[in-house]
Amino acid sequence: MNQKKISSRVYSIVKSAITAAVLPVFLIYIMIDKPDYKIMNGLAKIVLPVAQWVGDGVTWPIHAIGRAASGIRELSTLRSENEELKVRLSDALRNKTECDIAISENQHLTQQLDIVKEIPQKSIVANITYNNEAFSHSTFFINKGYDSGVESGMAVVSFEGSLVGIVSDVAENFAKVRSLTDSKSNIPVRIAGSEVYGFLQGNGSNTPTIGFFSDPEFQPTRGLKLITSGIRGVLPNGIPIGEMTSHEDVNVVLPSKISDVIVLKFNSKDKYK
Amino acid sequence: MIKKISDFLRTAFPFLAVLVLWHLSVPFWNPGGILALIPIFYYSFINPVPWFVPYAAVFCFLIDYKFDTLLFWTFIYCMFYAANGFQNFVDLTRQKNEGVMVFMAYFGAASLLLVLLGWNFIGLFRAIWLVLWLSTLYIPFAALAQRIKK
Repeated sequence: MNQKKISSRVYSIVKSAITAAVLPVFLIYIMIDKPDYKIMNGLAKIVLPVAQWVGDGVTWPIHAIGRAASGIRELSTLRSENEELKVRLSDALRNKTECDIAISENQHLTQQLDIVKEIPQKSIVANITYNNEAFSHSTFFINKGYDSGVESGMAVVSFEGSLVGIVSDVAENFAKVRSLTDSKSNIPVRIAGSEVYGFLQGNGSNTPTIGFFSDPEFQPTRGLKLITSGIRGVLPNGIPIGEMTSHEDVNVVLPSKISDVIVLKFNSKDKYK
Repeated sequence: MIKKISDFLRTAFPFLAVLVLWHLSVPFWNPGGILALIPIFYYSFINPVPWFVPYAAVFCFLIDYKFDTLLFWTFIYCMFYAANGFQNFVDLTRQKNEGVMVFMAYFGAASLLLVLLGWNFIGLFRAIWLVLWLSTLYIPFAALAQRIKK
């Protein structure tokens, strides 16, 4: 009995020693594989789809109940939504003529001012599959990967055209996108209609903050619109980002508020890091 | 036949619990599948199950990938496992209330460290919420695990 106890204790110590030996390996890895962490991300691209696939199989009854409940909820709101859409459609049709005039005037002015607007080389529509918002981190997964042509550094925009995030890691059938609210997100932006530049820094909250203005005398105010500046070479100039809600907070499109996005590829000069 | 199925489900429950809780991740209630840390902790330290440790390490790694925290939860798990194995002052398998206090200390300390690494008040509030939420859920989970074991 006593011998059994001793051998069990030795076995426990051996297991602990093996686990302890892994710790310095992790630390060395974190120091040497930055900034891309290729080994970890590569491993995740194998393990994650397998776990997702098995998880889908095990949790299908829960998903089926969830889908049925959301279907019933959607059906119940369909009538009121239809009425609202009719009103919005008639409003939109009224505005269409004014918009057509504004578009032709804009094209004319763009030609006169010799403004070159960058057109995306490729656009891919994707669904948001997981929104991983926790602590000060905010990333989300989309259901398109390098099989569909998604690459790291591509811009992810909402259907209204506002920037939601940047693709940070790509696997075969999915991609991880760093949203603008992530604390690691730091994007050079421009105040629309001016030549004032700044940096939009995510902080984990729903409203990232803007600072480090190129013009020290510039007074930021509520209501100003922000667009990408194209300074860093990853994103082109002119993608709408959001609107300032105070002297530093910016209202952006949150991944939790949308279910579909468009992934855009531009002719980037630099690689996203 | 029924006995065989129930025995299989009893054996598979720890593994399935981790998989399901990780897979059903939703913002606010289960961000990045963090709830999977409850069965990971329970079946690694309080009521150890054979071959559970490598499985738990893989899921800590998957939580890290979803969280974008770069091996943080995997590191903390391995560190706690090693520290627990080397000492013989505290027997976690005989803790009161299925070790809820130890779990709170484990998850609270890890969350605090994560908040300090990327300090801001929103992160702190979210960490407080998650510590309270996971600690609350730990109690019914431990009770369920006890019932399944019997």
